[in-house]
Amino acid sequence: MNEIIRVFKAGIYKDNPVFRQILGICSSLAVTNFLANSFVMGVGLMFVTAFSSLTVSVIRQFTPKHIRMMVQTLIISAYVIILDIFLKAYFPAMSKNLGPYVGLIITNCIIMGRAEAFAQNNKPFISFFDGLIMGLGYTLVLMSVAFVRELLGFGSLFGIQVLGENWVNWTLMIMPPGAFFMIGIVIWVTSKWFPKEEEKGGAKA
Amino acid sequence: MASKKKIIAPVMFMLLITVLYTSVLAFINESTKGIISEQEQLRIKRSVLYVFNMKSDGTSDEVNQLFDESVTAEEVDGTLVYKRLENGVATGYALAYTGKGLWGSISGYIGFSPDFTEVLGVDFVAHSETPGLGGRIDEPWFKEQFRGITVDSVKTLVIKPSDGGNIDGITGATLTSVAVVNIVNQFIIDTLAFAKEANL
Repeated sequence: MNEIIRVFKAGIYKDNPVFRQILGICSSLAVTNFLANSFVMGVGLMFVTAFSSLTVSVIRQFTPKHIRMMVQTLIISAYVIILDIFLKAYFPAMSKNLGPYVGLIITNCIIMGRAEAFAQNNKPFISFFDGLIMGLGYTLVLMSVAFVRELLGFGSLFGIQVLGENWVNWTLMIMPPGAFFMIGIVIWVTSKWFPKEEEKGGAKA
Repeated sequence: MASKKKIIAPVMFMLLITVLYTSVLAFINESTKGIISEQEQLRIKRSVLYVFNMKSDGTSDEVNQLFDESVTAEEVDGTLVYKRLENGVATGYALAYTGKGLWGSISGYIGFSPDFTEVLGVDFVAHSETPGLGGRIDEPWFKEQFRGITVDSVKTLVIKPSDGGNIDGITGATLTSVAVVNIVNQFIIDTLAFAKEANL
């Protein structure tokens, strides 16, 4: 139980993949112009991270150490392809919006980072949970960035217009520079809120 | 001999896990193939119905029904032409176009009246324009402007407020607007030649 709480805290803020480990920045910049896109991307990443951590953990005792990276990449890509096919078949519009970024989940450092840093040395259940929570931490950051960008850039939330007719869309927010500003602000604010614990190793590239 | 064993075991392991995952993926791919191609077909059908200005409530069943009832697709000189039929008489043609946008190619469908004198509608299926700027070509007000414009053999579309302007550009997305107008104008020139040759 203690371990579950520890993993939960780590994923959400202490060791959050985006603002603490600075991983998965590329997709955080790319898909955060709409809340719906960020949500689907986040859930997709949770799915891939959780199941690849689980699989890596299950086969960790049989995997020859020196080829583990190859094995991890294979496992990750398999789950990403499953996700890609699923979106194409059941959410074609979303699949079109996210474009190449679903396929690029394969290169998201969060997943391999968790497989290497956690799943490799832990039991299957807790590895699965760790992957899920790390994905959730990523999703929360993406959603909060997307909340501000969509609200200011389109005046809407989840595609529903919330700011009145008089609102002039702040187009910069939905263009790439808006994402850079927002991610920068998130990293700055969170480093004030959650100061690094001295004894912890902290960010790993 | 120990080193030999170290090579064989990892290779076998990798082989095994690759075969396992590949077969799982192949199975999933095979079982969703039908649904995916159906979704793609549906997107094309929606777009063709839109350029013919035929309203549907948007559900997949109704789109399929409306499309099958009144639109036939036929290949003319290697180009797929969608023909709208009302009581056996052709009342419009729709053709797929692709052209260079600002950031990437823009593709979609254009509908013409049967004598190719009038544009019935223009739709965009895929583009990579900036969301909120050039991406606004997807908005209804922009697309609706193309309806009923008279075809000209040189320059059908002219952006307002130039002389004879008939299309409002998008504020902040001049280059995308110009790109769209150029694509459509060029496509109309090509289509007129194509229609003449194919006797449509």
